[in-house]
Amino acid sequence: MKTARVIFEAGSHKWIALVRDPNRPEYLIDTNEYLVVDGDDAILLDPGGSEIFPAVFSALSAEFDPRKIDKLFASHQDPDIISSLSLWREFNPRIKCYVSWLWTSFVPHFGGDQETFVALPDGGADIMVGSQRLQAVPAHYLHSSGNFNLYDPKARILFSGDIGAALLPPDETSLFVEDFDRHIRHAEGFHRRWMGSDKAKRDWCARVSQLDIDMLCPQHGAIYRGEQVKRFIDWFAQLEVGVVKA
Amino acid sequence: MTTVSTRDTGRELRRIVHINEEIKSVVATAFKINLMAMNAIFLAKRAGQTALGFGVLSNELRRFATDLQKQMSQLREMTYGSVATVTALVKQARLSGVLDRTRRESDGLSRQLIEELMRTRHNQAYARHREQIATLKRRLGQMIADTAQLVELGSLLARSAKIEAAYGGSYSAALMQVSSDFERTIGEIQRSLESLTKQQEDPS
Repeated sequence: MKTARVIFEAGSHKWIALVRDPNRPEYLIDTNEYLVVDGDDAILLDPGGSEIFPAVFSALSAEFDPRKIDKLFASHQDPDIISSLSLWREFNPRIKCYVSWLWTSFVPHFGGDQETFVALPDGGADIMVGSQRLQAVPAHYLHSSGNFNLYDPKARILFSGDIGAALLPPDETSLFVEDFDRHIRHAEGFHRRWMGSDKAKRDWCARVSQLDIDMLCPQHGAIYRGEQVKRFIDWFAQLEVGVVKA
Repeated sequence: MTTVSTRDTGRELRRIVHINEEIKSVVATAFKINLMAMNAIFLAKRAGQTALGFGVLSNELRRFATDLQKQMSQLREMTYGSVATVTALVKQARLSGVLDRTRRESDGLSRQLIEELMRTRHNQAYARHREQIATLKRRLGQMIADTAQLVELGSLLARSAKIEAAYGGSYSAALMQVSSDFERTIGEIQRSLESLTKQQEDPS
């Protein structure tokens, strides 16, 4: 089972990270899921693949009533992001899935109908969770051609999807980045190969540099905090991307 | 707690694939009979007065081949319908499997929720799909039985053609050869239908 870790809490506003399943089969990539709670309302970010649904569901239920989840956010269309959609719909057939307009006719192959999807326009959009306004921030071509991050101005957390992701060795289980230089080695190959556009990367770096970010939470690997956030953005800005070999 | 077996649904899909393959084989054979009947009609015409009866039977065999092709086309449409139903069942089975794993990994409220979901909507949906499959199976069985009757008629026509061939005078040997071919080919169809019937009845 995954572990649910509260990474931010201010009154009824919370961020819960669902991470590190020791029973995960090695052939499945490890993923982080995040639940943003505001009062009785919640949105689950990149709910994960159907194979890891049991681990996510069990960990999440320990912190929040899963019947109350009526919103999912899919940063993009990949199976490790959103193939569990049909299972979440089993609990709430009226659940809404926020995803780039580009993918609203592709993701239904994982489940859902025309009522399920809320198409995010390329420029981004606001998503209300309880009384909190979250912002879908464009991150197109990083790596998917229709790709969004989610920024929470109250918690000052940016959910960055695959940006900042690191493929960590099994013995590195820390939730937060401890040693940036050591950590980034596990992120480098991934970013060079998966991030397809240098221009998109520069645009993203400029865009998120304007945001006040305390934590940058990727879908794989550890969370960047404080100064590490700026270090990551600077590191990414100078990285050559869209190459098969380093 | 009832769970949907993926083995069951996999078996259903394999059964449909097998039925489709048999249908394809019967359709190909029916096409062959149609051509053979056309040749037989020309041969009877050449044989003239002595092969009038053979000519009539050849015409009937051609009509039989056309009816058989239509019947098989309906059977194929029916199996396409079965694929959609079985696919829904496979999907249900997969969901059911994941939910069962979730139940085993959960406790407290989450376990309660999963059990409730499986008891109500999930198992009902599974039962509904199973019922749809059972109905399709019954309809398929009926259509195979109807087709077997049609083929029995074809077999009778082939046997009669063989008798008529004996009165074919100098064309008798050639007509006999053609009517034996009819008999053998229709025998192939009968074996395919027997295999289809067995597939319908055999639960394994």
